[in-house]
Amino acid sequence: METIEFRNVTFSYPLSDRKALDDVSFTAGKSEFIVICGKSGCGKTTLLKHMKKNLTPYGNFDGDVLYCGEEVVDLDDRKNASEIGFVQQNPDNQIVTDKVWHELAFGLESLGLDNRSIKRRVAEMASYFDIQEWFRKDVSQLSGGQKQLLNLASIMAMQPKLLVLDEPTSQLDPIAASEFLRTIRKINRDLGTTIILSEHRLEEAFTMADKVMVMDRGRVVAFDTPRKIGSFMAGEESTDRHPMFYGLPSVMKIFQAAGGEGESPLTIREGRLWVDDVMEKAGIDPVGEKPLTKETVEKPQKTADDPAIKIYNLWFKYDKKSQDVLRGLTLDVEKGQMFCVLGGNGVGKSTTLKAISNMIKPQRGKIDVDGKLAMLPQNPQALFTEISVEDELMEALHYAAGSDEEKVQDVLNMMDLMEIEHLRKSHPYDLSGGEQQRLALGKVLLLKPDVILLDEATKGLDPFFKITLAGILKKLTDAGTTIFMVSHDIEFCAEYADKCAMFFDGTIVSVGDPKEFFSGNNFYTTAANKMAREYYPEAITWEEVASCIEKSM
Amino acid sequence: MFKDGIGEESEFSGYHPWVNLTYYILAIGITMFSLSPWFLAVTFVLSWLYSLLLRGKSVIKMNLLFTFWTLVIMALINTLFTHDGATVFFYLRGNRVTAEALIYGVSAAVMLVSVIIWFVSFNTIMSADKLIFIFGKAAPVLGLTLSMIFRYIPLLKNRFQEIKMGQACLGRGEQKGFVAKMRQFGKEVSILISWSLESSIESADSMEARGYGLKGRTSFHLYKFTRRDTTLLVLMLVLGAIVIAGCILGKTSVYFYPVYVVGSFDLMTAVTLAAYVLLLALPMILDIQGEVRWKQSSLEM
Repeated sequence: METIEFRNVTFSYPLSDRKALDDVSFTAGKSEFIVICGKSGCGKTTLLKHMKKNLTPYGNFDGDVLYCGEEVVDLDDRKNASEIGFVQQNPDNQIVTDKVWHELAFGLESLGLDNRSIKRRVAEMASYFDIQEWFRKDVSQLSGGQKQLLNLASIMAMQPKLLVLDEPTSQLDPIAASEFLRTIRKINRDLGTTIILSEHRLEEAFTMADKVMVMDRGRVVAFDTPRKIGSFMAGEESTDRHPMFYGLPSVMKIFQAAGGEGESPLTIREGRLWVDDVMEKAGIDPVGEKPLTKETVEKPQKTADDPAIKIYNLWFKYDKKSQDVLRGLTLDVEKGQMFCVLGGNGVGKSTTLKAISNMIKPQRGKIDVDGKLAMLPQNPQALFTEISVEDELMEALHYAAGSDEEKVQDVLNMMDLMEIEHLRKSHPYDLSGGEQQRLALGKVLLLKPDVILLDEATKGLDPFFKITLAGILKKLTDAGTTIFMVSHDIEFCAEYADKCAMFFDGTIVSVGDPKEFFSGNNFYTTAANKMAREYYPEAITWEEVASCIEKSM
Repeated sequence: MFKDGIGEESEFSGYHPWVNLTYYILAIGITMFSLSPWFLAVTFVLSWLYSLLLRGKSVIKMNLLFTFWTLVIMALINTLFTHDGATVFFYLRGNRVTAEALIYGVSAAVMLVSVIIWFVSFNTIMSADKLIFIFGKAAPVLGLTLSMIFRYIPLLKNRFQEIKMGQACLGRGEQKGFVAKMRQFGKEVSILISWSLESSIESADSMEARGYGLKGRTSFHLYKFTRRDTTLLVLMLVLGAIVIAGCILGKTSVYFYPVYVVGSFDLMTAVTLAAYVLLLALPMILDIQGEVRWKQSSLEM
């Protein structure tokens, strides 16, 4: 029997002419794993919220949503609470109690279980999710990934049959995100829970899904197996690609763009085999791995003549007894460049940003910043004070010199640049994640900085908007602004950065333009490069790889 | 061991919350009703010792300061405003300043100081978790509310830090002048409030999604009442009963006016006093025993 079924569901929010859901019909069978993707604001969240009784949004609704044959809105409260689990985006906002063990027990307490049964289930959950280590910790001591895992475990403790997840990994770094997705997959395989997941990070989700649903303006435009969805999204020509095409796994993008026939490969492994196949037919041999010569390893970094940021031998630790976070960091960033710093968690990337923006005082070393500096924080909410987008931007100019007319003109230009004119009267909190990011960036840019620091600016953005953002950043660097970004997003940096650097153990270990940087790495490189590096070690982005392969086909 | 105190790892702290609570109810309750010099001395000294044992050197300064000022102020006020008593020191503007009033002031001050210092160790022993458990027993909602408060304090703190940083990113970090500073602070607080209100909608959703509001909510905890808890509880109750019996028989009371009279030190007083000392010292004995056991086991390794 179907776990969840939508029958001709049409929905619009009050005072809105646009249909948030437009005649949506689909079914999800028992133990199915369904991934929903689409641009921000395409109705994914609205769709998911209809699957849980107490989250059903208020508005004009038509059609039926059935859970195991019963209307969701008529479900018994107890059944609704225990059998349908819902994980939201933000890990912090979903946690309500102060201790990990208490959070795990929250749902079971609500169901009125006695102490013994709760203890048993909590113990089971803690072991299954491997959280014994931090079982007695305060929730405030957990990392973002651990918090989201806790939210999941707390819901799984109630043993739901249907698990709905609304972009659960958008606030996590890639390593935590893939761990989270693996856990979901494990739940699906081990326990047979039906999973409905909306995601932007399709690279991994695609390999797990039984079916993929593509949404556009409230409509379901495609609902099929992952292998078939690729050719649908690629369209006939490169011009009529679906916006979500850019969010597909690199392997699929390359396959489609290079004009591969038949079913698309999903994983990098399958991609490699496919490339081997194509190359064999074309009679091309793999090029050997370039040995690491002295020049490639120890090439001294050219010192820029006129650097925008100059850091020399920086040492820092947070307190006397702790370890050094920065260890002799030396770095030059040229003017008018987009400089990306990559690296794992806790290696000192954010500390570097704080040091550059003068929020911490390093114990040793020197930092010179040429020109005015501004920084975009990770959470755009940290900047919002006003009740509408235009006021928000105006507020940035509060202390600026100049007449009101000039300021208004500046604000209008900025809205134009960020493509948010249509939202000028909206409340900043009503915007989607990507729109908030644009507004915050606009606010920072109004200060007319010469150097901009970005902290994980691509976090939680849909793949289509990432391209827009890259365009905006490109315009800025062309105008002479320097951009210094720390990021986990390898693919974004490979495609759009002027220079990439690898941060490790408190210092930079390698710098270069994306081509030399990534082709020199074996593990820390783009999926596209991993797939075809035997034949085209210099090709980094999926487009480069695709065009190389296309030529030899 | 005594430099930083034993802290929350103490042996007594590992007992069941009900046992901990019973101890403090007895200790603080009896302290409040006994003004006899013997009993005051016992509770004063032991409250000091226990706070030292748990919290270490850092607590001395605060305790001393508090003891000193309470003593001085209460003794002064009582001597200046109470004019009863037979033993007159001198006359101040026609009012008698008596020895009895001074003694009463000092006794009451010592009592008050002891109660407050008992709360110093109480804070360490009765962790947030235990309070949540005890309140949760009274009403599950109360326990949950406390737990949520303890969750939101660090969350809001972090958020405020982030907002401050965000404002610094816009170059608003260092405002000059009091008015500008206050304005900036107001702005940061207003961001914090709107951000938190916005995110609390999601928290409410998440609570409801996990069945909050269903009838018959229970309150989960990790405490287990074991045999050693029973033993200690019974011992405490027996000792407490002896002391309370002594109190009822008037062994702990004294007369201040018109003349300061302390009852004779008879057998019953001695028994009551001994029971009182033992009762108050029980946690200390357990804690020191525990520390010694650790020392030994680490020496053997």
